Amino acid sequence: MRPQEDQTRFTESSWMSSNLGPSAQQALISHQRSWSPYVDNGGTVLALAGRDYAVVAADTRFSVGFSVPSRNLTKIVRLTDQAVLASAGMGADRQYLHKILRSRLEVYKYQHQKQMSLSAIAQLLSNTLYSRRFFPIYAFNVLGGIDDNTGEGFVFGYDAIGSFEKVKVVCSGSGQTLVQPVLDQQLAGRQKYDLPDDQRMASLSLDEAIELTRDVFNSAAERDILTGDAVEIYAVTGSGVRYERHSLRQD
Amino acid sequence: MFLSRSEYDRGVNTFSPEGRLFQVEYALEAIKLGSTAIGIQCADGVVLAVEKRVSSPLIEPSSIEKIVEIDTHIGATMSGLTADARTLIQHARVEAQNHRFNYEEPMPVESIAQAVCDLALRFGESGYGEDDDDADNGGGEGGGTNKDDTPIMSRPFGVALLLAGCDEHGPALYTTDPSGTYTRWLATAIGAGGESAQATLEERYRRSLSLTEAEVLALEVLRQVMEEKLNAMNIEMACVLPDGKHGRFQIYSTERLKACIERMSATDSPR
Amino acid sequence: MHSVKLVPCELTTEPIVTGSSVLGVQCADGVVLACDTLASYGSLARFQRVTRFHQPAAGVVIAGGGEYSDLQQLFRITDNVYRQEFCHEDGWELTPRALHQYLSRLLYARRSRLDPLYNTVAVAGKGRFLGMVDMYGTAIETNLVATGIGTLLALPLLRKRWHEGLTMDDGLACLEDCLRVLYYRDCRALRTIQVAKVSDSGETFISEPYDLGNLQWKVAHAVTEKLMI
Repeated sequence: MRPQEDQTRFTESSWMSSNLGPSAQQALISHQRSWSPYVDNGGTVLALAGRDYAVVAADTRFSVGFSVPSRNLTKIVRLTDQAVLASAGMGADRQYLHKILRSRLEVYKYQHQKQMSLSAIAQLLSNTLYSRRFFPIYAFNVLGGIDDNTGEGFVFGYDAIGSFEKVKVVCSGSGQTLVQPVLDQQLAGRQKYDLPDDQRMASLSLDEAIELTRDVFNSAAERDILTGDAVEIYAVTGSGVRYERHSLRQD
Repeated sequence: MFLSRSEYDRGVNTFSPEGRLFQVEYALEAIKLGSTAIGIQCADGVVLAVEKRVSSPLIEPSSIEKIVEIDTHIGATMSGLTADARTLIQHARVEAQNHRFNYEEPMPVESIAQAVCDLALRFGESGYGEDDDDADNGGGEGGGTNKDDTPIMSRPFGVALLLAGCDEHGPALYTTDPSGTYTRWLATAIGAGGESAQATLEERYRRSLSLTEAEVLALEVLRQVMEEKLNAMNIEMACVLPDGKHGRFQIYSTERLKACIERMSATDSPR
Repeated sequence: MHSVKLVPCELTTEPIVTGSSVLGVQCADGVVLACDTLASYGSLARFQRVTRFHQPAAGVVIAGGGEYSDLQQLFRITDNVYRQEFCHEDGWELTPRALHQYLSRLLYARRSRLDPLYNTVAVAGKGRFLGMVDMYGTAIETNLVATGIGTLLALPLLRKRWHEGLTMDDGLACLEDCLRVLYYRDCRALRTIQVAKVSDSGETFISEPYDLGNLQWKVAHAVTEKLMI
């Protein structure tokens, strides 16, 4: 092994199999050291699904505390033409996660001669996050796409260590507390107790869904300092993935 | 025949000057000594039928197990050194379950064939440090390497498998052999009676066969190549039928076998 | 219970000798980087004429802030990468973008080992490449780079003055202005600076250290008086 190659050799499997060195262990145990391997880079991600589409959106602000080193760092990765993933949380962990997912999808394609389905990606993402249960990947993911067989839109919401839920609408990240209630009220209709379950989910057209997405991001950017600059929106339909981008407030 | 061909037929890691690996070729010969196994893919599934050599009336026939389940949608039968098949089958089962764990979906049939063939080539020096569940499992768990110095297999596996399964692309039938090659077939036979059975299958196979017709065809071909008289005790059968998006593999009970045999006898008596 | 052997901690969890901000701007005809030549020991301006630039190959320059020893280590690792690449002699060399990604993987791996390289690094290269990597391994490609306290003091100024078609000379003037502001306001900044230019085609120039001119301290008393109110 050439020494400098060794330096970057860090995959999730090496975490479970190889132990931290004694000095790193000590750093973990000793409480006088205050350096944290985690940083919150903020940002809001959202995914919502309709009958035959899914919308995945995220802002592009990259914050460190009160400063904004970049106004244009994407939180979204297009995994297949049926699945798009957006992750809020820590930028470095997000980039790492997106990279290994992309490579795993590529390997899967070679091994099984097909594209990974949305549900398979959902499970893989959960396993990947859980494999780092004791040194979590600080990323809050929303995965959106359409089902392989039915063409129906679905989204999956995750916590940092792999718990996930198949839902119709989910929001994560720094604007979550602002956006999720609005989505619940507008889409999931959870206040409409008198309606049967199958009627509570409002059926939005794709255009209406995108419009709602833009509205909630504009709203989040008003009150959440970690959200802003621009919103990227991916619309997943049976005919592929469409991308659009709109400005948000930049202050 | 049984004289040494040259000094190149000893090691599994040395090609002969003509570019042959004799040990692998001998392993292929071992299959031709095995009992005959037949697989037929039909319009609505795949049928497997295999001969069991019950060499003594004192043998309990059910203890000879020639057809095994790999996953709910995939099964296999074998010919050759059936003990060797246990390792391959175990590997295939682990791979299939790993796939379900990782992706929450059944493993494609071709991928199972590929997985079996990956193991089939891990003999001799290349077998060191490998173990059964080194699969891509989406996490860091498992995947440990075998610290033991002993290889998992010192020689090629002397067994061929017939894999029958059903995935999102429909029913499929594959063979795997000791050289690590897998091939997809509409209908094929392996084992001692393989060649003559294959000839009959080529003559009589039609894509439009129903499952029942395929069962009868498989039995007729098997009867033709078997030395003993075919009965419900000295054969085994199984099928995979589509079940929603994927398939359901089932091994036939004695009653079902008897019914199939009767149906075969009924169809050929008018001739 | 196994006991943990107590050894002196050899990890950088707080920096000792540090460099301050690094600035960078992407221009129409290339990329410019600038930073001062100071490596501070706490608040002591300990090493006043050290370079924080490194040119591992033609057409690519990296510059960094943070722990200076880690920066030197990072430069060495980078050199090794390029040396290996050179030895292949296959006519292929690392692109600036590839180096940028490599550094992000390096820094990410180190932070994940809880043994970080305590640096923020800017990468400038041919083809108007400008990127930065922080100590956590976040890779950012951007038209403007300002690290450390420069994120707060210089980045807003750079954003105000940046426009499409900015030339390298204009860009350099912007960076000098920002370094001037940093010198006024950042107690860990120095007036001696160095700049690096990488043109679109890869012509690379790293200046000798020189002093910022045009410094204006006449208003300084107003600042203190205001504070005393």
